[in-house]
Amino acid sequence: MVGPQYDLVGNPLGAVRATFERAAEAAAAESGGREPVAAFRGKDWGANEVFRSFLFEQGGLDKVPVLDASNLGLIKPNTLVRFRGMVQDMLGNEYYVGAFKDGSTWRTNKFSDFSPFSIPHPCDSHLWERHLFHCVPVPGQNSWTRESSPGPDVCTMSICLTPEQREKRKRGADNDAMDVSENGNVEASSSSKKPKDDDAHNSNSSPEVSMNKEHIPEMNGVDHHIPGSSFSCLVKVYDMPESQVKLNDVAEFIGVYTFDPELAAPTDNSDDIMFDLIEDVTAQLPPSKVPRLHCLVRRKLSAHDFLSKPPTAEPSPILLKSIRQSLLSHLTLVLGKDELAAQCLLLHLLSRLLNKVDVVTVGRLSLNFTGFNRESASIFGNQINNLIQRLLPYSQAIPLSIEYLNTATLQPRKDNKSGRLITGVLQLPQGTHLTFDETLLQSGSLTSKGVENTMLLKNLMESQMVEYDFEYYKLEMATDIQLLTLSEGKSNILLSDLIVPFRPSCVPGVNASAEELESWRWYLATVRSLPQSTESETYQVTIPCTTLSTNAVMYLMGTYLMSCAMFVPHYR
Amino acid sequence: MASRGGGNSNSPNSVSSPDVRPSSPLPATNSSPAQSGRSGGRRRRRGSASPYPSSPSLGGFETPPPPGRRTPSGAATSRQRQNWTGRFPPTPSTPMSTDDVPPSSEAGDEDTPETDGGGVDADAAPVFVWGTNISVQDVNAAILRFLRHFRDPRDAGRVDPVMDEGKYMRAIHRILELEGGESLDVDAHDLFDHDPDLYGKMVRYPLEVLAIFDIVLMDLVARIEPLFEKHIQTRIYNLKSSVCLRNLNPSDIEKMVSIKGMIIRCSSVIPELKEAVFRCLVCGFYSEPVMVDRGRVTEPHICQKEQCKATNSMTLVHNRCRFADKQIIKLQETPDEIPEGGTPHTVSVLMHDKLVDAGKPGDRVEITGIYRAMTIRIGPTQRTVKSIFKTYIDCLHIKKTDKSRLHIEDSMGTDNPDANKTAEDVSLGDKVEKLKELSKLPDIYDRLTRSLAPNIWELDDVKRGLLCQLFGGNPLRLPSGANFRGDINILLVGDPGTSKSQLLQYMHKLSPRGIYTSGRGSSAVGLTAYVAKDPETGETVLESGALVLSDKGVCCIDEFDKMSDNARSMLHEVMEQQTVSIAKAGIIASLNARTSVLACANPTESRYNPRLSVIDNIHLAPTLLSRFDLIYLILDKADEQTDRRLAKHIVSLHFENPNIEEIEALDLPTLVAYISYARKYIQPRLSDEAAEELTRGYVEMRKRGNNPGSRKKVITATARQIESLIRLSEALARMRFSEVVEVRDVVEAFRLLEVAMQQSATDHATGTIDMDLIMTGVSASERLRRDNLVAATRNLVMEKMQLGGASVRMIELLEELRKQSSMEIHLHDLRSALGTLMTEGAVVIHGDSVKRV
Repeated sequence: MVGPQYDLVGNPLGAVRATFERAAEAAAAESGGREPVAAFRGKDWGANEVFRSFLFEQGGLDKVPVLDASNLGLIKPNTLVRFRGMVQDMLGNEYYVGAFKDGSTWRTNKFSDFSPFSIPHPCDSHLWERHLFHCVPVPGQNSWTRESSPGPDVCTMSICLTPEQREKRKRGADNDAMDVSENGNVEASSSSKKPKDDDAHNSNSSPEVSMNKEHIPEMNGVDHHIPGSSFSCLVKVYDMPESQVKLNDVAEFIGVYTFDPELAAPTDNSDDIMFDLIEDVTAQLPPSKVPRLHCLVRRKLSAHDFLSKPPTAEPSPILLKSIRQSLLSHLTLVLGKDELAAQCLLLHLLSRLLNKVDVVTVGRLSLNFTGFNRESASIFGNQINNLIQRLLPYSQAIPLSIEYLNTATLQPRKDNKSGRLITGVLQLPQGTHLTFDETLLQSGSLTSKGVENTMLLKNLMESQMVEYDFEYYKLEMATDIQLLTLSEGKSNILLSDLIVPFRPSCVPGVNASAEELESWRWYLATVRSLPQSTESETYQVTIPCTTLSTNAVMYLMGTYLMSCAMFVPHYR
Repeated sequence: MASRGGGNSNSPNSVSSPDVRPSSPLPATNSSPAQSGRSGGRRRRRGSASPYPSSPSLGGFETPPPPGRRTPSGAATSRQRQNWTGRFPPTPSTPMSTDDVPPSSEAGDEDTPETDGGGVDADAAPVFVWGTNISVQDVNAAILRFLRHFRDPRDAGRVDPVMDEGKYMRAIHRILELEGGESLDVDAHDLFDHDPDLYGKMVRYPLEVLAIFDIVLMDLVARIEPLFEKHIQTRIYNLKSSVCLRNLNPSDIEKMVSIKGMIIRCSSVIPELKEAVFRCLVCGFYSEPVMVDRGRVTEPHICQKEQCKATNSMTLVHNRCRFADKQIIKLQETPDEIPEGGTPHTVSVLMHDKLVDAGKPGDRVEITGIYRAMTIRIGPTQRTVKSIFKTYIDCLHIKKTDKSRLHIEDSMGTDNPDANKTAEDVSLGDKVEKLKELSKLPDIYDRLTRSLAPNIWELDDVKRGLLCQLFGGNPLRLPSGANFRGDINILLVGDPGTSKSQLLQYMHKLSPRGIYTSGRGSSAVGLTAYVAKDPETGETVLESGALVLSDKGVCCIDEFDKMSDNARSMLHEVMEQQTVSIAKAGIIASLNARTSVLACANPTESRYNPRLSVIDNIHLAPTLLSRFDLIYLILDKADEQTDRRLAKHIVSLHFENPNIEEIEALDLPTLVAYISYARKYIQPRLSDEAAEELTRGYVEMRKRGNNPGSRKKVITATARQIESLIRLSEALARMRFSEVVEVRDVVEAFRLLEVAMQQSATDHATGTIDMDLIMTGVSASERLRRDNLVAATRNLVMEKMQLGGASVRMIELLEELRKQSSMEIHLHDLRSALGTLMTEGAVVIHGDSVKRV
């Protein structure tokens, strides 16, 4: 419709407003001037379509820069960006003046923090709502996933702030003279806070370091457990039923990046006591640190979306079988020619939570490799970790030591003072892989925090639930996390479904080619997402197994899953 | 609420032009007609002799017809604008002596009504409140009708001298008599029953209607008791529908809503200035009290004393100002309203006056109030207003709701004069009826069994026992002070992987005050109670442990075997006397711990060793063991039939949609309600026949070990068992909501005990039930065998060895003994026999060699 008229990347709001004004006119003509825009509340008037077709049909997605810590200060406000992250906290709704009458035309504020036009009369406006989500880069996201969809280099793009502009920003800040609301031109004359400028400048040289230094202590007020994830983004989502986005969902948000210097102004009006409590949590997320993103298009990401090559149409059994074979042989090599362990590891990597019935979880297969000592753990453990890192989108290795248990914050906790959910190590997206290295554990005493942490881990192991602490009550959140434990003997703290003594016969020393890795990732992602149905044959296979297994229930689940997971690649 | 605020704003100095508030770019529109209505009323009143209005001049405010371009939502916005600086309903104002100034409430107000003289000539044409469909006269009349004539339908049957008056008239009289109440609670259900239209209007336009409500009320009060000083506020509660916090949306703004939630944070009480008094620094003249208008006080520029007229000389006198209480609380969704994968939403609530501190953090409350939105000022000095709004609720009424699990509401049966529990009573009545119907089903016992942990396969007898534990027996307290506990303790001993822990978790979910601990992680003090010194005050305080905390509940202890002996020994007192006694650090106390203990343990060698006795397997002190009413041995025996069925059961869980066999089971809430009702209201007593049967059965049990053929006398049952049996049969009767324990209950109790005992107290040597095994750890036949062995060894030693002669190796002795006797003798048997001899002083043992002394 309006595609060519507007530079959708450079000036998305222009397109939004143009479509709105047109739609409002049309609606006004239809309804005869009564409440033409009331119908647009919570609905799209066509703007979404414009962007969708631009992004997905005309290949515009590649032109949209990815917002991350390194280019935070470089991207021009009010341009189109995309951001991949995990929903870390839900900050509720926000009401804003969605549509208002400017003279005789209706205008909209959707997808922006404030209006370029002065809002005229209060009665000619409509209140709309939007949802706020605090998003962080996915904890434990492995580096290969980032390469898969690189955005254009920001600095070479037109939407990047030129050095002069940056300079200007700085001057603006120095002068501290802003007269923004009157001329309505934010971009050029926007003044910003000092730290912002520092960021912008530092980011040229060593973005990671500067960001880390600056953000960790201030932004969340807690020890952020994942290095490099100090960056976060406040995503404002429109027109969406509440339940569509869940906590810990991983999604890609494409929308308008806004930076409003006025909102960045300190809100330290301490004289007004009631602001203290009525003030919402966004006040603690200064826009200079936490960019605002007004989401136009949102899509949930699965493991497939991280693969750089698009998946082939139909997974053929032969193809699957050959990939499985090559992966298995690689796993065997990595595990020092222990074929049984390799088989188990493969099954473990393929497991996923199928179902949850009361306290019974079905489908998980946590694995415990025993027979490690410190040395072998450092050799093989690293090998396994490296491999997993290169195979799965999200993984983390946790050194299970007394000190770690006593100090780490595993449990996400709601801070009712600030209204924020303070993240913990166990706030993870579905499908994360965790490796515990229990060889580091020595005898010692656990503090109360340590006991709590072990209880959490045990609970996670047993029921795939993580309790979030909401001060007055605990809320259990369902997770789907693959858990691998490396230990000397059978781990009694983390009881796994399957305990495999690990007997390597040689030292690993293999490296996989990029192509192979690619195909294995695809294999894992595909096979995991295949629907698993219990066929009657499986049933029959399972029953002989049970007579073998003495430890009835738990072990049976493991064996069942083994057979089930093996079924999928064989039979497809 | 707005009107109450407005009512106060008619003092001369409060006039503030919008320019005073630099942050608002908007003309301060004001749409509160009620405000002017109030002022009109007040004016007239002042003219009259009475200090209170005899008839409010409600007809007085004519609002100009709404401008065409204005829309209701626009109106709402404008009202928000006006409200945003924190103009809150102030305390009911006492009349001000402002007669000489026309009470024009607002300057620059485009719709200032005609306040003067309006009351005299009420127009014939209906006057609508601007932007709404409220006709002031109509609403006024409707409210008056409601207050005067509403009669509680439930009162209809009652003969009462004051019945000629309506419910709310009586309430008003009560307020007047007590002179304490400053608010009239109005049940919105009553309002709806009486006048649905008025109810609709009130919910839709609460500001306007409540304002009129207040005026009508004041008028009514003034007529009854002209000297009544206080302002009475209307507090509406119990709306027809309550909104989920999550579903509040922009269309709810400026409407009356009712939401449930949990208070998570309270601000301190904020004193809010209501009237300011200024003093002239030059002449010391005190100004008239200045009302706060929309959060602002205008300082008089000129001293009003004729002689002084100094400018900029006025200063605020704190002592003479009047303040009202204000508090902001944060309300969060209750856990049950949070959808899966979501985090709870919160909303700010403003509380005033009496409502301050009505709730504490952690309370579950239901709040009725007006949903409001206000713009955000960017800075105190800036004019700009963001396009974003903040929302909050102006609280009208707060009601605490406490619905923790397994507690059926307490209002049952009690005669509660407060009518606010009507709806609950009705629904509760229905619930109870349903439960009673359920209890009449012939298969209720099986049904309950099936409903308990439906995902755990079979183990039906264990589940029956657990069910008995949930229902519990009757505690008995004799006048002499002796106590007999009603709680049933159960121990589950079993092989790993027999879903013991799952059963435990299920029980924990069900029980009213379940505490779940793991033996490994529990210490003695952690279970019972702990004396701590407060670091600040130095006082010693008692901190309750798990057992005390689960008073009147079930304390689930997992991994009982892995618990330290010290901790386990603490359980002795708890399990029989049901108290925890503390005597340390200056505190001697006895705490109630009327808890049922449900423990589960693995056998000592992780798997049950059938060769060893139960005691050896469980490895618990016999004293403790005898305190368990039921000890279930859950053994994992390989049996193809059972295995096949188990496998099918588990595999079925893995189906895409696990249809847990749609058996006729009760769902969890029903089960919980059922149990709690039974525990609370059913107190079964033994019938004569049942008592008879109990005695007979007990004698039978005792007799059983007394086989005429065998010499040994085996104790089969103890007095503790008969208590257990009574408890079990009482629990079984409770399951049927029966007040009488019948014979069949007793029979079933015997069966349960038998099932448990057969497994746990089978003497592997003889195959009969042997309570000695439980009591001492050694069965009668085993003891006999040991005595025989000791005797044989003694003989051997006497025969073969000389006094003070060379020592003999134990192996040799063993060989000798084996030759002599037909019994199979192990080395450890011999060792224990020799140990006995050593205590007798007959032999000395050095390592492996034995020497006679």
